[in-house]
Amino acid sequence: MSVYDTIVIGAGLTGLTAACRLAQAGQKVLLTALGEGALLLAPGCIDVLGFQPADSQQPVKDPLAQLDSFLSDNPDHPYRLLGKETLAAGLTAFQELVNRHGLNFQGDPHHNWHLPTTIGAVHPTCLAPASMAGGDLQKAAKVLIVGFRELRDFYPTLIADNLNSQSLGVQASALQLDAPPPVAGRVNITPIQLAHAFEDPLFRRRLVQAVAPHSKGVDKIGFPAVLGLAEHAGVLADLQKGLGKPVFEINTLPPSVPGRRLFEALRDAFLKAGGRLIIGGKILAGRIENGRVVEIRLETASRAKPLRAENIILATGGIFGGGLQTDASGRVWEPIFGLPLHAEDNRHRWFTRSFFASTGQPVANYGVMVNARFNPVDEAGQPVAENLFAAGAVLAHSEWTRGRTGDGLAVTTAYAIAEQLTRSAQ
Amino acid sequence: MSTETTLDDITRSIWEQVQFTADLCVKCNICTSHCPVANVTDLFPGPKYVGPQAQRFRNPKELSVDDSLDYCSGCGVCTMVCPHGVKVMEMNAKARYKLYRDKKPIPLRNRLLGRTELQGMLGSPFAPIANAVFQLRPVRILTEWVLGIHRDAPFPPFSFETFRGWFRGVYQKSPHRLKSEKKVVYFHGCSTNYYEPRVGKAALAVLEHNGFEVVVPEQVCCGLPLLSNAEFDAARHKACQNIASLVKYAREGYKIVGTSTSCTLSLKSDYRHILDIDTEDARLVAEQTYDICEFLLDLANAGELKTDFQPMEAVIPYHAPCQLKAHNMGLPAIDLLEMIPGVKIQLVQADCCGIAGTYGYKKEKYQIGMDVGRPLFEQVIASGSPIAICDSETCRWQIGHATGAKMLHPVELLAQAYGLDVNQG
Ligand SMILES: Cc1cc2nc3c(=O)[nH]c(=O)nc-3n(C[C@H](O)[C@H](O)[C@H](O)COP(=O)(O)OP(=O)(O)OC[C@H]3O[C@@H](n4cnc5c(N)ncnc54)[C@H](O)[C@@H]3O)c2cc1C
Repeated sequence: MSVYDTIVIGAGLTGLTAACRLAQAGQKVLLTALGEGALLLAPGCIDVLGFQPADSQQPVKDPLAQLDSFLSDNPDHPYRLLGKETLAAGLTAFQELVNRHGLNFQGDPHHNWHLPTTIGAVHPTCLAPASMAGGDLQKAAKVLIVGFRELRDFYPTLIADNLNSQSLGVQASALQLDAPPPVAGRVNITPIQLAHAFEDPLFRRRLVQAVAPHSKGVDKIGFPAVLGLAEHAGVLADLQKGLGKPVFEINTLPPSVPGRRLFEALRDAFLKAGGRLIIGGKILAGRIENGRVVEIRLETASRAKPLRAENIILATGGIFGGGLQTDASGRVWEPIFGLPLHAEDNRHRWFTRSFFASTGQPVANYGVMVNARFNPVDEAGQPVAENLFAAGAVLAHSEWTRGRTGDGLAVTTAYAIAEQLTRSAQ
Repeated sequence: MSTETTLDDITRSIWEQVQFTADLCVKCNICTSHCPVANVTDLFPGPKYVGPQAQRFRNPKELSVDDSLDYCSGCGVCTMVCPHGVKVMEMNAKARYKLYRDKKPIPLRNRLLGRTELQGMLGSPFAPIANAVFQLRPVRILTEWVLGIHRDAPFPPFSFETFRGWFRGVYQKSPHRLKSEKKVVYFHGCSTNYYEPRVGKAALAVLEHNGFEVVVPEQVCCGLPLLSNAEFDAARHKACQNIASLVKYAREGYKIVGTSTSCTLSLKSDYRHILDIDTEDARLVAEQTYDICEFLLDLANAGELKTDFQPMEAVIPYHAPCQLKAHNMGLPAIDLLEMIPGVKIQLVQADCCGIAGTYGYKKEKYQIGMDVGRPLFEQVIASGSPIAICDSETCRWQIGHATGAKMLHPVELLAQAYGLDVNQG
């Protein structure tokens, strides 16, 4: 008897999405992760395809329409296993999921927002919180970018200058302020701490007083993405009311507040659906017998605890997430099951000579090879275990930096696997 | 794959030592963004800065670089959320030890708070008087002035009858006491002994009900309060006494079951990873130690737990203490308690209650502790439930103090659902 229907390993965007869907479909799910995934580090939007070809300067406007062209340049990318329909369905399902749990993600698979980044570059993304989508650069507007002296690495002048120099039709001006008390004068404040401060109405009132005199003649006002955490919707509405203009958020350096909101929404949705969660729960090893995973071992405080489930989803991320390990001798391995990998054990082949090479870095494509069901396979294409599934950044050929496909891949591969597992159970 | 030890194996074994996990840090700030303390006060810049980032400036031969370390509550949320295996809390505990060793004398107050056993030994025999006196406002104000223990910090009343006293005087003499082939060792900890013997009684009743004879060997304070007040030598002394007493049972395959999640965490992990007691005996004791809910849920999963529960219609808020989460085994109390027909456990979404052992008792930290716990208190109050559940004693006291809810250990609810009379032997 298995205690769980499915155990999901990894609490990044992939693992959380899969776990949520399965728990909501009535499965008994355990989500266990060594730590939190990349959600708090990435911008908290869902990038699906941002640049095609990868070295193009023109951000993609319609990611779905560009998919074929992307796949002809990157024939091995796991998007090939999904097809347009599943890709679109996965994105829509994700949007519905998070919007049912307190967020307000806007967008559709046939459209990219073009959002300003922390350095005033253009970030093409498919689904974005309404607060960030409000900063879309595709419509001409006069914008005021507000920053705080207390928050490092967010320079409104840099953002405004860079936006203005790209002839986007956007006219940006900058305002650098001292944050109101109790933040005023602090150094080393993190975006999360500032977001907490924004939840205080008095703080906001003072801020509105400081910004309002500078906002005459502008169409909208951009702030660093620190406009509240749990109370974000109220904070945003209150600021728009106080300033009498649309307000939007621009992502900061990590930790990302929108990423944190997304993490919390998914986590809460999962727990609400009866899911069991262990953050700090590293999986040490798994045992495969007769083509099935029969047991995985959780590293508890003093011993390995065996766990069993009908199905296991491996969502442990790539090299950064810990799903792949490497060492100085050039070895690359998947630490839990020792899965066959697409990888090279000659360290000199991990990287190209140019950091920004249009081909990307080979090492970023290393990962687990899968079949159409997302079962890990060996070099001959034979599945390693029929009840083991791999999704997200741990997959081979999933390099995300050039095409900006990381989040889309996470969400849609999680969706595809969850669909399979709930359908087969019915 | 070869079985020889490679340079990488050696590198990895070094990395696994707490101090060196600093090298695994990629400065992502996930820990800082989750730090309950850094989120409510400026006095603590956050685990990343004070932990892995400062670590590289910590020369064993030189003075500690950073005093703000003292504001770390030791809750361990940082270690838990770190995706790269950095032992942030453990690193900070060690650095705090060094801070006090090299730079500042440990205040009398901290020495007292670290000695829960001494408090119990002095207070318990005079419980009626001690409790009455310590409830007097002027006494608490004086204690705050003289010692720096906050006047509002939650001190539970001493129990006149200690758990050990009851165990020896009543339980062991009882003719109904179960004798069985199946035996477990019970580690009660100071709180059960001096303040809440009812938790220990409930544990015994539940274990017996499931056919286990319970052995209560010699034991002393687990040492965690000393450890978190930077008295490593004294903590190590306690640890060694416990290991020496418990290892005899561990060697015979007995499981050691505890009702205090912080005591069991010390036995499982802190002795080895913070106090550096890395002996075979320590490892054996660690391997055999179980939180009581963990133990009972394992039984249930093996189909060996009695399920003759009386139904109980209740939705009860439950807080999972930091010291329980650090066991990295999930939250067994929830699955266990939901086996009682009609019981629905409502997991409160909060990182920490703020008390963090002895942290919230200190004058300068009391308010920080209360601020940390606020989201938790609000949820408990909003639940409208007259009772709430938590596995860890100081957290129970803190939550009870802040919300007025009656606080239970999970095993107390189980005993109730089994319909057990916990005061008998
Ligand atoms: C700094 C940064 C910025 C990014 N920016 C973008 C962007 O702008 N656009 C874009 O498209 N993509 C971006 N990405 C990539 C994108 O975020 C990821 O591709 C996607 O989130 C992958 O999610 P994941 O869940 O597969 O893996 P991860 O988020 O890496 O999660 C892996 C999870 O597995 C856990 N884990 C690993 N090993 C074990 C184990 N043995 N046992 C238990 N748990 C384990 C980890 O603790 C973690 O919880 C960025 C990534 C990073 C790191």
